[in-house]
Amino acid sequence: MLDTYREVVTPEGVALHLPVAGPVPRAVAWGIDLAIRLGILMLVGAVLALLGAAGEGLYLISLFLIFWAYPILFEVLWDGQTPGKKAMSLRVVNGDGAPVGWLPAITRNLLRTVDMLPFGYAAGLIACLADPHARRLGDMVAGTLVVHNERERDAAAAPVNAVLAPSAGLQPAEQAAVVAFGERAPLLTPARQEELANIVEPLTGSRGQSGVLRLYGMANWLLGRR
Amino acid sequence: MRQEQFVARHQHEWQQFEHWLETRGNARQALAERNTGEIGDEDIPARYRRLCQQLALARKRGYSPVVTARLQALMQRGHNLLYRTPTPRWQRAVEFLLADFPRLVRSEAGCMWAALALFAVPLVTMFVLLQFYPELIHGLMSPQELAQLERMYDPASDSNKLGRESGTDWAMFGHYIMNNISIGLRTFASGLLAGVGTILVLILNGVGIGAAFGHLQQIGSGDPLWRFVAGHAPFELTAIVLAGGAGLRLGFNLIAPGRRRRIDALVAGGLKGAKLCLGIAFMLLVAAFIEAFWSSTQSIPASIKFTVSGVLWTLVLLWLWRGGRNQAGDADAS
Repeated sequence: MLDTYREVVTPEGVALHLPVAGPVPRAVAWGIDLAIRLGILMLVGAVLALLGAAGEGLYLISLFLIFWAYPILFEVLWDGQTPGKKAMSLRVVNGDGAPVGWLPAITRNLLRTVDMLPFGYAAGLIACLADPHARRLGDMVAGTLVVHNERERDAAAAPVNAVLAPSAGLQPAEQAAVVAFGERAPLLTPARQEELANIVEPLTGSRGQSGVLRLYGMANWLLGRR
Repeated sequence: MRQEQFVARHQHEWQQFEHWLETRGNARQALAERNTGEIGDEDIPARYRRLCQQLALARKRGYSPVVTARLQALMQRGHNLLYRTPTPRWQRAVEFLLADFPRLVRSEAGCMWAALALFAVPLVTMFVLLQFYPELIHGLMSPQELAQLERMYDPASDSNKLGRESGTDWAMFGHYIMNNISIGLRTFASGLLAGVGTILVLILNGVGIGAAFGHLQQIGSGDPLWRFVAGHAPFELTAIVLAGGAGLRLGFNLIAPGRRRRIDALVAGGLKGAKLCLGIAFMLLVAAFIEAFWSSTQSIPASIKFTVSGVLWTLVLLWLWRGGRNQAGDADAS
């Protein structure tokens, strides 16, 4: 399984693609969060130091909140993202793709204690590498996933020019490939366009620039532009 | 139908849906404003299902990513909105503490009793042993720790605070919150190591507390000690035992999942544990408050302290025993 997509079928019967995130972006996100937390603590500490002994108590309370509550609150209230996850465009979701709720968020963050064992998230890393959906132990118990936020695909509509019916019948996968060429080729260099079009010379019956244009025409035909 | 015709036919619907998501997607905003868009809020589930059907069609017909990715993104946003978790309400929180939490505890009675045994047996054994063999304490605590412990509960001390060397009430409140709640939560979490972590934490805590109490009692510092611990013990000791019980449940679910897949058993144990941890954190918060602002006051006479302790013990046990009995809810259901 090279593909790290997790497919979840929703109650409406369509598949939801969840691109799960591996250990590296998650570790980076955790590092960013750690830096932010330490920063907040230093700020809070500097302010509360002015308050003397009561400040010391408040400092310990904020230490508690930043240690335990920070990830829980962010994940539930901010669309499954802590600031670090936002920076890495990651998101925590329920196993079924729905936004993460209070209980799963609490579970997965409490169980960090176990994932951190014996040092430096080693248990979590091993679980993450062994699991097909890259879940650490806390994620497994909470039934959650960390997924990449889908990027907008930079495909444009195929340029409208000539329309040309393909010389031979095409299989569905072949049709999809021709349409994909029509939509993505404008983003490529002319040399690369020609190189790709030359591969299907038997279909277009010409090479170079005219092959590219003919392929565009076929894409248009397949898209239904008459 | 060709892709272009498909898009042309449904384009308008998709734009309407997208517009609705953008203007009405935020629940709080949507409450404040009137819906002026083309589709009413009540039409959204139907619209969403229609979109799902169109996405399935588009995929089946092999339309290009321009269409499927767009529909998929729209559908995902709709899905996130329709299946989001409801916002918690205050009334629900009170209900949880008063009724659901005790019910949850009782539903895991076996684990709770086991945790109690794992904690109380070493505690009592240690305490009794130290009355007869006082020298045993040197095997458990270093001379420095011992000296500090004895200073904290020295009956001859003229400090007006019990059970601490320095620090104001507020500083100690923060300290207790950070320390005790973290210990409680870790007691639960380490149950994932097949229960071994929880068992170790319970036994070590039992031995540690038993040793400290036994030693202080034996050297004659019993009076300040009991006056100090009486107030917060009902909440703190109970919470540690409950956290241990939740951890044991999680561990058992890993070892013996029963007729479920192991992962399903773990998820069930984890969710239950998370709920229990909410209640446990609350109990430890109360304990920290009592410990910081009540337990340490030197001026309150012992009789009042022990009376209050008795009342609190009764309340805590009654709460756990009777709480939520008369309601028809089911702690296992959710």
